[in-house]
Parts: sequence; C-alpha cells; structure tokens
Amino acid sequence: MTLAARDVHHGYGDDPVFDGTSLSVSPGEVVAIIGPSGVGKSTLLRLLALFDRPDGGTVEYDGEDVWNASERRRLAYRRRIGMVFQETSLFDASVRRNAEYGLRVRKSWPDRLRDELRGFLGRTNGTVDAVEALETVGLAEKVDQDAASLSGGEAQRVAFARALAYDPEVLLLDEPTSDLDPRNTAVLEDAVLQAKNSGIGVAIATHDMHQAERVADRVAVLLGTGIIEIGETETVFDDPADDRTRKFIDGELVY
Amino acid sequence: MTVESSLVTPLLLEFPFEWTYLRSIVRVSLYVSLVAVALSTLCSLPIALAVGFTEFRGKTLLTSVINTGMGFPSVVVGLVVLFAVSNQGPLGSFDLVFTAEAMIVSQFVLATPVITGVSLAAVSSVERTVRDAAFAMGGTRVDVALVTIKEARYGIATAVLAGFGRAISEVGSVLIVGGNIVGPDGTSKTRTLTTAIQLEARQGRFETAMMLGAILVVLVLVVNAFVVRLGRGDGGYR
Ligand SMILES: Nc1ncnc2c1ncn2[C@@H]1O[C@H](COP(=O)(O)OP(=O)(O)OP(=O)(O)O)[C@@H](O)[C@H]1O
Ligand SMILES: [Mg+2]
Repeated sequence: MTLAARDVHHGYGDDPVFDGTSLSVSPGEVVAIIGPSGVGKSTLLRLLALFDRPDGGTVEYDGEDVWNASERRRLAYRRRIGMVFQETSLFDASVRRNAEYGLRVRKSWPDRLRDELRGFLGRTNGTVDAVEALETVGLAEKVDQDAASLSGGEAQRVAFARALAYDPEVLLLDEPTSDLDPRNTAVLEDAVLQAKNSGIGVAIATHDMHQAERVADRVAVLLGTGIIEIGETETVFDDPADDRTRKFIDGELVY
Repeated sequence: MTVESSLVTPLLLEFPFEWTYLRSIVRVSLYVSLVAVALSTLCSLPIALAVGFTEFRGKTLLTSVINTGMGFPSVVVGLVVLFAVSNQGPLGSFDLVFTAEAMIVSQFVLATPVITGVSLAAVSSVERTVRDAAFAMGGTRVDVALVTIKEARYGIATAVLAGFGRAISEVGSVLIVGGNIVGPDGTSKTRTLTTAIQLEARQGRFETAMMLGAILVVLVLVVNAFVVRLGRGDGGYR
C-alpha cells in the first residue's frame, strides 16, 4: 500500500492552495503535516482521502491513478482509507452505531437489513472490532451512550475509533488531538503508534510541533502553495534545509 | 338503529349517524390522506435530498417555488385536477372524475410542496461534516443519503405530519374533484370528514358537525402521536 499525491494543483476560486506539490504515505510510517493555519493541511488530507479531485496532478493508490479509475475501484480504494476530520461530526446516534458505521456500509444489503431488524427488536450485537477500536481510545464503557452527550474530547476519540474500526490501510488524521487534554493526547498518540506498528500508514496534520516530534517518522512542512521541505523528523526539526522551516518551527515566521 | 351504534350512543347522547355510514366517511378520509401522503413522501424525499445537496443555477428560485406551493390555494388545485381527470384532460382515459383516486391526486398535489419544503429545510440543516463522515467511512451516495435522512428524521417527521394535516383537513379540492358523494348503499364514496362537516353545517346541524369535527381532530392527534412515537423509537438507530 502506498497512497500518494503527485504534483497536485488545487485551489478554490482563483486562489491556488497547491501549485504542484507531492506527498506519499507508506505502510508503517507516520508522516506529520505542519504549517500555518489556512495553508492547506486539511485540503491536502481531503485530496489524499479521495474526497476532492485535484485540479491538476494525480492521486495514486499503489501506483494507480485513482481519479482515472472506475467509480467502483475508487470506492474500493476509499474503503481502505480512514479519515478523521478536524471538525468532529458524529452521527446523532449511540457511540456503538457510530463506531460500527464503517463496518456496516461494507456489508451486503440483506445483511444490513437483517442487522437493522435485530436492532429494531432491541437485540444489538456489538461488533467486536468496533468495541476493540473504542478500547484503544479508552471509551469502551461508553458504547451505549448517545454520541450527542459526549464531551468534545470524547467525541474526537470516538471519531478516531470509528475510522480505526474497519481496519484501514491508511489513516489520515486532521488535528486529532486539538480538543484533548494531555493525558488523552497521550492515549491518542499511543493509538497512532500502535496503528503504525501494525503496518498502517498514517498522515497527521498538526499544530503541535512536539506532537510531530513524538509520533512522526517524517515531517512535511507546508508553506505558501506547497510543501517546502520534507524529510526525517529529526532533520526537519534540528537541521532544516529551508530557513523558513526553522523560522516557522521557532514561531518567528511572520505570514 | 343498529346494535353497534347503540353501544356508542351512551357516550354521544343522541348519535345521529348510522355507524357504517360514519365508518365509511372515516375510511375514505384516511384512505385518501394516507395514500396521498405516502406517495407524496416517496416523491418529496429524493427531491429534497437532491435539491439540498447540489448547487445549481436557479436553486433559490426552485426553493421559493416549492415554498410558494406550500400555500397554494386548494380550490385552484381542485379545479386543475378536475380538468386533468375530466374527459378532455390528460388523465381523462382513467375515468377518475368523482372518485377517491381523483381526490388522492389532488391531495398529493397539495401535500407534496409542504413535505418537500419542510424536508428540504430539515435536510439542508444536516451538517456537511456529517455527510462527509459517512462518505469517508466508505459510504456510497445511497449511504450518505440514508445518513442524512436519519439525521434529519425529526424534521422529516414534521414534514410528513404537516402534509398529512393539510391533506386530511382540506375541503376545497376534495369537494371539487370528489363531489361529496354517498353511494346508493348509504356509505361514503367520496365523502370525507371535512366535506361531511361542511354539509352538516350548511344544513344547520351544528351539533353533528361539531361531533364530526371532534372525530377529525382525534384522528389527527392519533396519527401525530403515532408518528412522533415512531420518531422517538428511531428504529434501532441508537
Ligand atoms: N470549501 C472551500 N471553499 C473555499 N475556500 C476554501 C475551502 N476550503 C478551504 N478553503 C481555503 O483553502 C485554504 C486552505 O484551507 P485548509 O482548511 O486546507 O487550511 P489548513 O491548513 O487546514 O488550516 P487550519 O490549520 O486552520 O486547519 C484556506 O485559505 C481556506 O480558506
Ligand atoms: Mg485544517
């Protein structure tokens, strides 16, 4: 598995966000995407998640140009990717329903109808994978709670768990710890490393430089209209090739 | 008086109707309104979803056309439907003049803008991020639509109830296309609760009119309570 954006051009209206930029995510690695607010971190993750078609360039999964493949194949690729959004948006349902959603849509229609019927009759059978995923973020005991009644931080962890529940090959995380306290940030970072060790490729957009240092193997620095520097985490932080990288990391950059 | 009606009499003092007659009126009212609302919901939901989630030129115009349709004069709808089902009209070959089915057509026309308009508002208020999440987790477009309907379920229930309320409590168009007919056997062919009330009132029988009115109100209440319960139970969605 390798997911890659190659030489992508993208923008909204007349303003280009990317002017030919590339990024790849390989199995078992964590790539952190850092950069100032509004630079396009979320946009890049949406392109990688096959949400938006880039205006130019390609997004490739295992070398296949996804946007030139059939819609069926694109759906199949999409189902190998887990994406957690910056704005948490759980369904107005139980935590269990949220965590199981990805598994549910992968089932055949007869199976889904049967499950719905059983649920209607009050016989919910918690999918093991979904509960396991909730366990990794410490929320297994909340399965039967209403998602609407969760705290912001809990909701964010459920959003992570439901992306993990269907065993994706790639995880794309958009500031997944922005609402979390230090302890739960550590829980989530552990879960990221666990995912990585199980062979999942992870891309994580973050504003927290220390988090990038803690979890990432590689760091991509977004500035202006693309990635200005990408490399091993240590190199980027301790000995960046681009002076703007150093200024951004030190918080000196004025933009 | 039949045996059945004598059971009811103590409750309503002097019950002025044959039980079978009353039952047939209620049956026609419910048949027309429920079928019209069911068909209308089936049409309205896809329209609401399509209009809610796509950007196109004239969307604002279309939305205001739908909203105008919510308050469209029912007598006018009745006239148009009567013409449509008459011999010269496009539906003339179906022979629907003064039938319950013609009333279904006119109630369908009346209820659809209401159900579409209210569901459209409900569907549009579902956060984009919720739809994105369904898509991101591997949902197809159908899955995203289903999630949206579930998220908007209270608003959609309101829409259906509003449509039902309009259909069952309306007089003008059912009178025109149905004709308020009672068959030779003394049971209603196209007489509904509303047209019966209108008739009783015109003939000065206010008490009977009031009684029929009370039955109508109870019917609406029962259907509302049922739909609200259905929404609460939310089909194992929790
Ligand atoms: N749907 C959209 N329509 C128009 N402009 C958009 C849209 N989405 C993003 N943009 C613009 O694209 C640019 C990049 O946005 P993006 O959300 O990718 O930034 P970001 O790096 O994730 O920022 P943050 O760190 O604040 O989350 C911004 O200038 C934003 O205003
Ligand atoms: Mg962002």
